[in-house]
Amino acid sequence: MNSRSGLLSTLSAFLLFLVLASLSILLVVENGVVQRFRIMGTVRDIQAWGWTRTNSIATYFNFRTENERLVAENLRLQQQLARYQAAERELDSAARYVEPDFSYISAAIIKNTVDRQHNHLVIDRGREEGVEPGLGVVTANGVIGIVGAVGDHYAYVISILGAGQTVSAKLAASGAFGPMTWPGSRPDRMILHEIPVHIQAAEGDTVLTSGYSTIYPPDIPLGSVVSAKVSQGSSQELTIALFEDFRTLHTVYVVRNNHQAEIEELYEQVP
Amino acid sequence: MSKSHNILFFILVFLLQLGVSNYLNLGPWVMVTMVPFLILQLPLPRSPHVVMLSAFGLGLLLDLLSAGVLGLNAFAAVMAAAPRKILYRLLVNNDRQDATWIPLLRDFGTIKYGKYLFALTAIYLAAFILLDCVSVRPLGFILVKWVVSTFASTAAGLLLAFAFQRRS
Repeated sequence: MNSRSGLLSTLSAFLLFLVLASLSILLVVENGVVQRFRIMGTVRDIQAWGWTRTNSIATYFNFRTENERLVAENLRLQQQLARYQAAERELDSAARYVEPDFSYISAAIIKNTVDRQHNHLVIDRGREEGVEPGLGVVTANGVIGIVGAVGDHYAYVISILGAGQTVSAKLAASGAFGPMTWPGSRPDRMILHEIPVHIQAAEGDTVLTSGYSTIYPPDIPLGSVVSAKVSQGSSQELTIALFEDFRTLHTVYVVRNNHQAEIEELYEQVP
Repeated sequence: MSKSHNILFFILVFLLQLGVSNYLNLGPWVMVTMVPFLILQLPLPRSPHVVMLSAFGLGLLLDLLSAGVLGLNAFAAVMAAAPRKILYRLLVNNDRQDATWIPLLRDFGTIKYGKYLFALTAIYLAAFILLDCVSVRPLGFILVKWVVSTFASTAAGLLLAFAFQRRS
């Protein structure tokens, strides 16, 4: 009798072990970071409050670097604006009323991870500021990620430094494009795949966003080619040194494609 | 040490783990976890069902409150909790089996306690790192991270065990 109850107990323990282990794996496979951000509303707000405070201290000690970076970015934007103003003067008046393709919302990062397999950021802009799931997050020096979930005043951003995240990128010189992914080792390196072998990619060549996704604007500089190797005999894999340093990021822009709904509608019409 | 002190210590270590998970950035090669130590803090003679459910709840709560992937800590905690009693018999082999007995460092010495904690930590981290890194990172990286993290986490657990012993 005792041995039978012992056996039943062992079997039920093994069954429970299988159930709990399977449930955990299911949660991991479903990549529950976003679901958690949605579920844990109150806790998330408290965490965000704490992250904001600790980030303020970190930001204080990085003021000089951040200031230099913003000055450089400001200068570049002023030069760009001047070019656009000159071009605009040459356009007819009707063209001035054309809606821009992308609009931007600036945001400060209050939480950022770079040392995990699935990295993420939390920014201080949320639903009330117009941030929605699916919008892209960029800086002047690269692509940062995609908004995964939003609260009223905060948003959870899935970093491109994560397993399964892809950015459509192209070589500035040739225009050859392919998916760029993070190999998971260093936060300043990514791999550009599927570049045909006949394309010559030299060290230092610039890589830009291709514009073939509806999320990110085209021609954002992403990085430069460090090395190339032939993969499976048919295409090249290029190692890219990112321009953006994810470890010192403080401000980003949430980017909205103003024509996204129209593009998606077109896709839906295709049988 | 009274039951309320045990619970308070457990909560303090859990909060410490939350702080480590959320704010301590040691780079991609090493992670420090105190969850195996917390699993050891559960009374030993409890049925494996209670221990596994407690470990799962503990891991899930940590996943929910810290920056990471939901389910990773829960999975690793269940993996470490399941063989807890078998490891105890193999590595410690102490006769004591009181209903609410928590294995302490002073009961069987630093070496035996260290081996027990090391084994649980190694299982926990093997499960955690494999699930987190599989097919994403090379095997060499996984092995180095596992070894370094196991030693670092065992050291952290032993420090906590000494602190717990002093208070009791």
